[in-house]
Amino acid sequence: MNRIRNASTVLAAVLALASGAGHAQDAQDAVALGKKLTTNNCAVCHTFGKGEPNGQGPNLFGIFGRPLASEPGFKYSAGMKAAAPGKVWDDKLLDAWLTDTETVAPGNAMTYFEGDEARRRKIIAYLRTLH
Amino acid sequence: MTDENRPPAASRRNFIRAAGASAAAVTFGAVSLSAKAADQLKFDAEYDIVVCGGGGGGLPCALFSRWLGNSVAILEKAGSVGGTAAKAAFWYWVPNNEPMRRAGISDPKADYLRYVARLSRPEQYDPSLPKLGLSDWEYEMCEAIYDSASPAAELLANKGALPYRHEGAVPDYWAELPEDKAPRGRVLFPKDGLPSMSDGGRVAIRTMSAAARRDGIDIRTGYRVQKVLVDAAGAVIGVEALTEEGTVFRARAKKAVVFATGGFTHDPELRKNFLHGAVYGGCAAPTNEGDFVRISSALNVQLRNMNYSWMAPISLDKALAKDGSLSGIFTPTGDSMVYVNKYGRRVVNEKLAYNEVCATFSQWDGAKGEYPNLALISIWDQQAQDHCASDDYGSLIVPPGSNDRHVLRSNTLPELAGGIRERLAKYRSAVGGAELSDDFLHNLDASIKRFNGFAKTGTDGDFHRGERIVEKLFNGPIRKKADQKNETMYPISAKGPYYAALIVAGNLDTKGGPKTNSHGQVLDVRDAPIKGLYGVGNCVASASARAYWAGGGTLGPIIAFAYRAANAAHAEPTSHT
Repeated sequence: MNRIRNASTVLAAVLALASGAGHAQDAQDAVALGKKLTTNNCAVCHTFGKGEPNGQGPNLFGIFGRPLASEPGFKYSAGMKAAAPGKVWDDKLLDAWLTDTETVAPGNAMTYFEGDEARRRKIIAYLRTLH
Repeated sequence: MTDENRPPAASRRNFIRAAGASAAAVTFGAVSLSAKAADQLKFDAEYDIVVCGGGGGGLPCALFSRWLGNSVAILEKAGSVGGTAAKAAFWYWVPNNEPMRRAGISDPKADYLRYVARLSRPEQYDPSLPKLGLSDWEYEMCEAIYDSASPAAELLANKGALPYRHEGAVPDYWAELPEDKAPRGRVLFPKDGLPSMSDGGRVAIRTMSAAARRDGIDIRTGYRVQKVLVDAAGAVIGVEALTEEGTVFRARAKKAVVFATGGFTHDPELRKNFLHGAVYGGCAAPTNEGDFVRISSALNVQLRNMNYSWMAPISLDKALAKDGSLSGIFTPTGDSMVYVNKYGRRVVNEKLAYNEVCATFSQWDGAKGEYPNLALISIWDQQAQDHCASDDYGSLIVPPGSNDRHVLRSNTLPELAGGIRERLAKYRSAVGGAELSDDFLHNLDASIKRFNGFAKTGTDGDFHRGERIVEKLFNGPIRKKADQKNETMYPISAKGPYYAALIVAGNLDTKGGPKTNSHGQVLDVRDAPIKGLYGVGNCVASASARAYWAGGGTLGPIIAFAYRAANAAHAEPTSHT
């Protein structure tokens, strides 16, 4: 394992020298890691593409700026519907939601939580690209 | 460290490392360390007890461990805790449970043991023997379930981690057997679940994970444990995990490492080599890829019951599409509905409990050299579509607007057969080229006529459909007709439209793995516990063998063993740093 890690570190250094476009590349990497995290963390229950069917949870295409509990055809829990009025998904609400859904909509059906703020930020950054 | 503190180059390096590490992600096993190496090894964190897996086994085990005063971490491979249990109905089968005792329902241990022995090892069962024909190990494991499931359930409830309600009316799956002296009353269910009892998993995972966070368990998701670290004396002292970011996280376990990482349902290689017949996956969490089978292979363990799994029929279409909504078909809904094979013949009582109906798929025709029932075809009419549709328990008949990728619809039976032929052709490499026989339609007509005759009289002369208690439990919704004599059967209409879906064998999860003793300690080839290594749930061998005793026969015993493993791990001496 160590050998492989060292090899990748060297590879990383070589690529970093070769690319010469550090920041743009980093932004792309962040989105790529955000996509990986979002897939690993959310794809068991959610879909992300336009018009894809709802799973255990609703389709997340266009989630940013959308009112809570508003995905057509998805059967939301009573807890989610009760918490929805007046709320729209934005950075702050998504962060609170992913930290502890019960603080946003008590009695909702989502079991997921992520205690790591850096990971939450990456996931939210990726969700923002879905439109 | 958050990303903000990290220079951009470092985060980039981290990302590239992730790409390299994913290629190495298949490296499972054990690392044996010399005394010197063990002393020098740097750990990222240190706990009394490290639990690998945050599902129906890991969460309760971590809670029990924490409540005994230990520092505890959960390392969960998936992005979310919950595992298979989150998708399950989460009934849990608890013999002689507290509500039964309060209500005066008798559930003597000797009779419980006869019931489980009779079903787990029917080929050896002998009630005149002291251990009923079970091996010492099987008997000890079955006793442990009776002794510990109820205390475990009570402790989880009393601590607010898993409040339950008693579902006293739910029957065992073999309620008629003379050995079953407590045929109803053993099933508990998460208190706030729906009346349909289909969503218990989400409720249980929510309440247990909330309690875990409340009580200070360090939950790390996206941490894939790949290796156990073993010291010079052969004791397990920690684990190495690969994080989602591609970094390695090394955790020291001062008392014990507990594996609760699920079975091998989603590892086609292990499935093919250990399970009987073709199994197409199942509703286990997608992360159940046999990690502990691979990790423990380096440790001289004894694999047991690798040939058995908790089985349920599944939709072929959804299994092949890796559809996240895949569920076991627990309710074979529809009264005007039959299952036929590729010859158009009924071959099984469609309403058998899910685990039992699966024996039919692997039936071998030794003359033709084929599995004639590899894929069965459920066929129903408009009446069943109108009145038997359900979104619960994996029903194949679903209401309008639900995910119906598995459903074929045609106005006539010949058209329907054409659609089935096309579907099978599309999947030919997955079903060994199975296709409908030339006389399929002719036989299907005869099968439906014969079934309709049975439905009219209410008695299924071929398969006795609807005669057992459990078959009514899982019949699903119907609209009772004035002339209906058996609620599980109604004549299939002579007029279309008709509907069909392809079904194959699947798992809730597997039940084989390293053998443990009844305290969850993983045993080596001499039957001695490997110091510091525990296992609970579907990643280790279940003594239930072929049996599915009752609804919740998975999770009740798992909670019992989580409790026993936590107590034994707690009692381990703390290794010095």
